[in-house]
Amino acid sequence: MKRFVTSLAMALCITLLAVSAPLAGELNLSVAASLRETMNELADAFAKKHPDVNILKNYGASGALAKQIESGAPTDLFLSANVEWMDYLKERRLVEPSSIGTFAYNTLVFAGTTTQKIAGLKDLVKLQRIAIGSPKSVPAGEYALEGFRKAGVEKELSGKLVMAKDVREAMKYAELGEVDGAFVYRTDALLLGRQTKILFTVPEGLHDRVTYPMALTITGAKKGEAQEFLRFLRSAEAKNVLAKYGFPTK
Amino acid sequence: MISFTPADIDAIRLSAKVAVAATLVSLPFGFAAAYVMSYYSFRGKVLLEVLLNLPLTLPPVLIGYLLLLSLGKKGWLGQYLDAAGIRIIFTWYAAMIASAVVGFPLLVRSIRIGMESIDERLIQASRTLGARWYDTLFTVILPLSFRGVIAGSSLMFGRSLGEFGATIIVAGNIPGVTQTMPLAIYEYASSPGGERMALALCLVAIVLSLAVLFLHEFLGSRLGRRD
Repeated sequence: MKRFVTSLAMALCITLLAVSAPLAGELNLSVAASLRETMNELADAFAKKHPDVNILKNYGASGALAKQIESGAPTDLFLSANVEWMDYLKERRLVEPSSIGTFAYNTLVFAGTTTQKIAGLKDLVKLQRIAIGSPKSVPAGEYALEGFRKAGVEKELSGKLVMAKDVREAMKYAELGEVDGAFVYRTDALLLGRQTKILFTVPEGLHDRVTYPMALTITGAKKGEAQEFLRFLRSAEAKNVLAKYGFPTK
Repeated sequence: MISFTPADIDAIRLSAKVAVAATLVSLPFGFAAAYVMSYYSFRGKVLLEVLLNLPLTLPPVLIGYLLLLSLGKKGWLGQYLDAAGIRIIFTWYAAMIASAVVGFPLLVRSIRIGMESIDERLIQASRTLGARWYDTLFTVILPLSFRGVIAGSSLMFGRSLGEFGATIIVAGNIPGVTQTMPLAIYEYASSPGGERMALALCLVAIVLSLAVLFLHEFLGSRLGRRD
């Protein structure tokens, strides 16, 4: 029995050591939730060419990621779904300014299972429940709120807005039919099941263009792997993957 | 000085409302469950015991997800409710149900402790004096286990105030409608520049929890002295 316990304790120690030992060539990415599938494919493609690099992906609302980086979360590359959170980190000198570039663009749409005729923002007041990403940290929610303000429906919609923690959660609610519809990106809506349809596209003039800026953090800028990965994200190969998932790059 | 936005005030008020409602709704069921578990022995009692305590160990997020799947529009229960025009998901009822499920084991446990501390002879005496089971229940068991009922209720109330995992899934996060205090804290905590507001709400939550627990201890000791 004693021997068993000793060996068990040893096994535990070894596991702990193995986990905590710093792995060579680790790359920490903090990526906007809407880029999940795209980034998974890109990371896999990169990992094939650089098998020694271990890529750790952290997906979430861009604002939440920015906050994590500000609080000291290990991140080498940040990919935001709006310019605001990139600027937020730039002001605090947490990203390398010379590495900032635009990764892709997107369009905001309203998608859902409702059978009512919804052709624009003004029609939304007919609905009961609408999911948006929490505007405090989710860019898709912020763009949507900007649109509500410009269309003058902000007041009528209060109390109907389900605040999702990221754009993918909003999408999930729409897919389950728990909300009449959700504000998501066109690329998210393309991944949805058949029952969920894109009801309208939010006109570009009603909010800033959906832009994904990318940058290396100050620690990332000193890492060779991170610089290499950033170069890869700018390559024609990466642009092909983006196009496959429906992201415009111009 | 910290000033709260109307949505934050709503969140605090809603948390209190949800906790009160969840506790009141669960009380009769909790009392019945505790009564059955204390005074009856039957086949499968262990199984029931385990099932009753399951919400204590299951991740609340899992409870929320199961509730969403069953009470949702396409869920096995939700489709009938939907046909009857009842909506639960993304209303404050959902927050109440989530809190009730998660807090239920705490309630049952405390009431059971109260019931099991009753001197068995008192119950037997009342029965030999001709009391029906319900007479015994209301004149002997209920008054003597009152301490357990109060203790359980305050614990459950406290647990409901803090319910997060299940609530965020089934109640959504609608400011002013279903955004409870923990959900508001979570939202502030994940948005840049939200520290001050998050901490202010944390302070309110801490004060409320302390108040509930002190009340729990105070009532416990006072009721204890009486018997």
